[in-house]
Parts: sequence; structure tokens; C-alpha cells
Amino acid sequence: MGQAVFTGFFGAAAIWFGVVVFRTSSMVRSALALLFSQAAIGAMFLAMETEFLGVLQLMMMATEMAIMAIFMVMYMMDPGGLGGMDMTHQKRASLVAGALGAVAALVVALLAGWGPVATRVPAATAQVHDLGIEIMERSMLIFETAGVTILTAMIAATAIAIRRRR
Amino acid sequence: MSVVLVLAALLAGTYVVAVLEGWASTGRLRPAGPLVSGLALLGRESLVPRKPDRIFFEVAPPLLLVAAVLAAAVLPLAPGLIVTDLATGALFVNASFAYVMVAVLMAGWGPDGAYAMVGGFRFLGQLVAYSMLVVMPITAVAMRAESLLTTEVVTSQVSLWNALYQPLGFALFFLAAMAIAFLPPFDLPIAPGELAEGVLAEYTGWRLGVMRFGRALLVLTLALAVTVFYLGGWFGPVLPPWAWTALKTLAVAAVMLSVGRYVPRLREADVLAWGWKYGIPLALVNIFYVGVVLLVAM
Repeated sequence: MGQAVFTGFFGAAAIWFGVVVFRTSSMVRSALALLFSQAAIGAMFLAMETEFLGVLQLMMMATEMAIMAIFMVMYMMDPGGLGGMDMTHQKRASLVAGALGAVAALVVALLAGWGPVATRVPAATAQVHDLGIEIMERSMLIFETAGVTILTAMIAATAIAIRRRR
Repeated sequence: MSVVLVLAALLAGTYVVAVLEGWASTGRLRPAGPLVSGLALLGRESLVPRKPDRIFFEVAPPLLLVAAVLAAAVLPLAPGLIVTDLATGALFVNASFAYVMVAVLMAGWGPDGAYAMVGGFRFLGQLVAYSMLVVMPITAVAMRAESLLTTEVVTSQVSLWNALYQPLGFALFFLAAMAIAFLPPFDLPIAPGELAEGVLAEYTGWRLGVMRFGRALLVLTLALAVTVFYLGGWFGPVLPPWAWTALKTLAVAAVMLSVGRYVPRLREADVLAWGWKYGIPLALVNIFYVGVVLLVAM
């Protein structure tokens, strides 16, 4: 019961901060609201006793949002983001896309066969061990492919960004 | 019970760190210094700047404090003397240090002041330089311990400290730890003399007191992390385990605080360039080296 309450609470917090992302007029507030939205998802993982995923989410999102904030500040018209700006654009298209996304997520959540609910969870140390084995054995190809794809994208982005030497 | 003991130890350690910082920066040893200046800060008015981002301005000082305390919660002071021995302890330490950046960025943005904002964004850039040098050396430490439990990390060093087993990782982590706590020569977000205390510039009174306390506690926690990950934690002859942890932690903190006296402040661009061009390749070499040594030892 307590677990459900906490999961729901952090879920609501994640949605609320997600709303704040678009309601604010400051890039920095928007980035930090997104960070707290993602951190709330990390807290949901912790409430659901998946310790490794929760801590990883909390750690990665802080760093990732920082890097995102740097790029946002770099590409903004006003230095440092001191001027206010609207966080929304293409409002009608986004409304439709958002509504469709929400419906799709609800349909999946309600109609998917989730199987029996787990009543016992392996200990946290066992989870870390099992996850490591999973990543290094069965799912190794998936993770390696994803890693190489991201690396390629990073190199390509850098190559595009570098000004050609004359 | 151990929670109370750990908190008391952290409080005492923070005080000693504050004394050491005063000694390192002014050259005069004043044992009552932090107490006097702390009481003075409490007595002064805590001004709120005009048109602040009130939430960020108020949240930043406690968040800095909480980030440091959370990291300390998973680091053992002695066998059994730990708040919570998380199965993901080594990762959790890194996660809580990431929120130091969030606190500093908030402190920079919140007051709506130019110096503070420049300081906050500088620290954001600094994070890009140091964050990989925190997580990659910890990876190599966890590889040797074959666990993310911080107590396992300590017991894996019973025969040989990690500082000697993987000196490269030790050096990188030590420098990255100094960058997290923005100690000189990495004190870009506050940069006294150039940025007029930067992120701390707009804080006064008790809020500045909380900020300074959080910074000192952060230095202590980072020194404790260096001790646990690289200096064999509580291991040592004759003295009880907690005394060894305390001695090593304070020694590491003293070194961290005194380096800045002899090195000029680095430029932001240099920190970033060196972090990525030399730091990350060296950290990868360290992981590879530790992996080879572990395989050979098997």
C-alpha cells in the first residue's frame, strides 16, 4: 500500500514538473524542471524497489540535463537566458501529438497483459548482479549497437559543428 | 544509533575542515574561527536581492548541504558504522555529487545577479570537464571490488590500497573531487578577486552560513570518498578503525585545501580541454589496466 502511494506520488510529481517545463518563460527553469521530472521518475524506480535503475536515473539525468542546459544557453538569442521566452511553438500540432501520445500510453497501460504482479523482489545486490550478467551476456549486442550508434552520432555532430579550415 | 554517530562525526569533521580552510587560505590557525564567523553570519541580516528567482535562491543552500550528506550516508566510517550500505553505494555517491552542480547552478541563477550567473554557468561547464573523471575511476574501483557496496570496496583493499593498485585512477579522482568542491585552482564559480565570490556573491547572513557549511561538508565528504575508494578506508595498525578513517579523511582534506595556495587558478577552457583530451583517455587507460591486472591475477 505504502509502495503504491509513493509510486503514485512521484509519478504525479514527474507529470507536474513536466507541465512546469512548458509553463515557465526561462530556459534555466525549464531545464531544471525537466531534471526534477526525470528525478521523480528515478524516485519512482526506488519506490518500486529497483534500486540500481533508480540511482542510475537520478545520476544520469542530473548530468544529462546539465549538458542540455549548456546547449540551450549556447544556442539562445540572449546570452545567459536572462530574457523571457515562450517555451511552446506549433501549438495546435503539439496539442494533437500530445493528446495522441497520452491516449496511446493509456491504451498500452490498460490493454497490455502485464502478467502476474511480482510479490517478491530479489535483493538489491542480486539485482545489480543479474543486470550485469544480462548486459554482458544476452543483451550485449543490443547495448553495444546502441553505444556505437550514439558514438557515431556524436562524431557526426562534432564533424558538422567544426568550421572548415581554410 | 549509527546515524547519530555518523552525523556527529560529520559535524566535527566539517568544523575541522573549516578550520583547515581558514588556515590554508590565510596562513593563520584560528581554532575558534569558524564558530565566531558562523555566529557572526547568523547575527547579520540575510538580504534577498531584488527580483530573485525565489525558489532557486532559497533551495540552493540546503540542496548543497543535502547532496553532501547523502553522499556521506553510503560511505563507511568503520565496520558497521555506516548510515545505509546500499547495494549501489559507489554509484549513489556519484549520483549525489551530481546534485552539487544543480545547487550551484540554482545559486547562480536565483539571485538575478551578473557575477552569480556567470559563476553558475562556469560551474556547469566545469561539470562537463570533471564528471567523467569521477565516474570512470569509480568504475575501476568497483571492478576490483567486484561490487558497488562501499564496504566491499574497502575490504577489497586489505592487501593493497587502491591508491597504489591504480595510481592513475587515484590521481584523476583526486583532481575531479577538488573540481566538484570548486576548491582552488578549480574555484571558477566563486573566483575571488575576479568574480567577487560569484555564486556566493548575493548570499548574506544565515543563507551564506548554510552555503559555507555545505561547502565545508562537501569537502569532508569528498575526502571521505577518496579515503574509502583509494586509501583503504578504516584499515590501519594499532589505532581503532574509526580513528584511521578520520585521520586519512582529514589528511586528504588538508592536501585538497592547501594545493590551491601554490597553483594559479585555471582557465575554464583549459579545464575543459585537459579534462577531455587527457583526463578521459587516461581514465580509459586506467580501466583497461585494472581489467588486465585483474584477469592476470585470476
